[in-house]
Amino acid sequence: MSVAERVMRFPVNALEYANILLTTDDAAVGVTPKEVVWTHRETTLYRYRSSNRRYAVPLLLVFALINRPDIFDLRPGSSLVEFLLEEGFDVFLVDWGYPDEEDADMGLDEFVCDELDWAVRETLRASGAEELTLVGWCIGATLCAMYCGLDRGSRGRVPVRNLVELTMPIDGRQSRYAKWVGDPELDVERVAELYGSLPGGAIDFANKMLKPVTNFWTTYRRLWDGVQDGNARRESYQPMAKWVGDNPPFPGRAWAEWIELMYRDAGLLRGRVRLRDRLVDLRRIDQSVLVITAGADHIASRPGTMPFFDLISSEDVEHMDRPGGHIGLVAGSAARKELWPEMSAWLAERSEPKS
Amino acid sequence: MADRRNGAQSPEEQVRALFEEAESSAAKAFEELVGKPSFGRLLALSAENTAALTRIAFDAVDLLWRNLRLAGRADIVRLSRQLHRNEDKLERVLQEVESLREEVARDAREARDREREEARS
Repeated sequence: MSVAERVMRFPVNALEYANILLTTDDAAVGVTPKEVVWTHRETTLYRYRSSNRRYAVPLLLVFALINRPDIFDLRPGSSLVEFLLEEGFDVFLVDWGYPDEEDADMGLDEFVCDELDWAVRETLRASGAEELTLVGWCIGATLCAMYCGLDRGSRGRVPVRNLVELTMPIDGRQSRYAKWVGDPELDVERVAELYGSLPGGAIDFANKMLKPVTNFWTTYRRLWDGVQDGNARRESYQPMAKWVGDNPPFPGRAWAEWIELMYRDAGLLRGRVRLRDRLVDLRRIDQSVLVITAGADHIASRPGTMPFFDLISSEDVEHMDRPGGHIGLVAGSAARKELWPEMSAWLAERSEPKS
Repeated sequence: MADRRNGAQSPEEQVRALFEEAESSAAKAFEELVGKPSFGRLLALSAENTAALTRIAFDAVDLLWRNLRLAGRADIVRLSRQLHRNEDKLERVLQEVESLREEVARDAREARDREREEARS
């Protein structure tokens, strides 16, 4: 296309560009049919509808406390949930909801000892299974690891057969985040107390500041180039942009504890994390474990995940390290052809067929 | 045209490549900048001050609102917390009831099995 043609088409392109940006909120995300199984406070447990359940061990998907779990089910044709249902798994999802100021007192103990524990219980009740597979992503993966490593006293071992950890941070002290929040002069508890729950917008801004040019400029420039060249993919841009912009608040106490745990103390490595006076010891993890790391992950980098392997006592451990980013690795367009089938094959080997 | 066939870039493509190169250099430079401890310090100070200012503003508005005898945000949060506490208790009671019900059902099943065995023998 010549320069003159570009100039002539500029008004049309500008309208198209504005239209894509302004209608992003109308994009449908997380549309796979599902039913509410259980709710407590802001947490909701969903079960996806399926007439193709071939495996007896249900999957419970757990996402981070940042952003929404819709990333598991981004859009038809590019949905991990849809793929897992097609493969015959019984899929459940725990959604932490939109915590607000009244949830500011929720700490990591509430998420691990109550919300996740009860979600596991309800998943087992609804599915009729005795054990399940936990699939955690980002902070959700760390919460799953903490849940499996928690001393449950007389309740014995957690009813988890398999543990799948996607881009899981265990030690964030070498990350860029640590440079921002690792400084002891930043009184995280004071910030948490002042805010109550940390605004989702602030968390989103901080995340974007990790790669400022890419997030604040390149994304929009690429979209403009796509519009100019006539190959802008509205159907893939909008759901992802909507998901990125949907940021629930982070409960203040949980945020302060997370900063301490991940960026200052790395307590999980040293086995000194306690939730309600119960020790979290990752050596208790003896389930079949699949850990997936992304080569270009700037949030949960590979070196920050690797110590996990030295801590757990599982005999059946597999590590998949693939090129990609923190989210793109699992939600990107290549995942459906490469990573998801590998994950599904791993799960199928460890999930007995439904009788 | 001959140049293009030989793989040479058009002026427009050259401009675009230069632009992308500049963008990539800027991205690297900014990533270095935000990776500096001083930037972290600045961000931390800004976060603390913004949080404090937000809190002062909210509290002032809330005070005004409450003096007008209207329920402010603090009242709504307090009520929501009470509701949450009740929900927590309800959830625990519900779990207890469910486990007792399961226990009763299990006992009844075992008793039935025993009776059947006794009847057979």
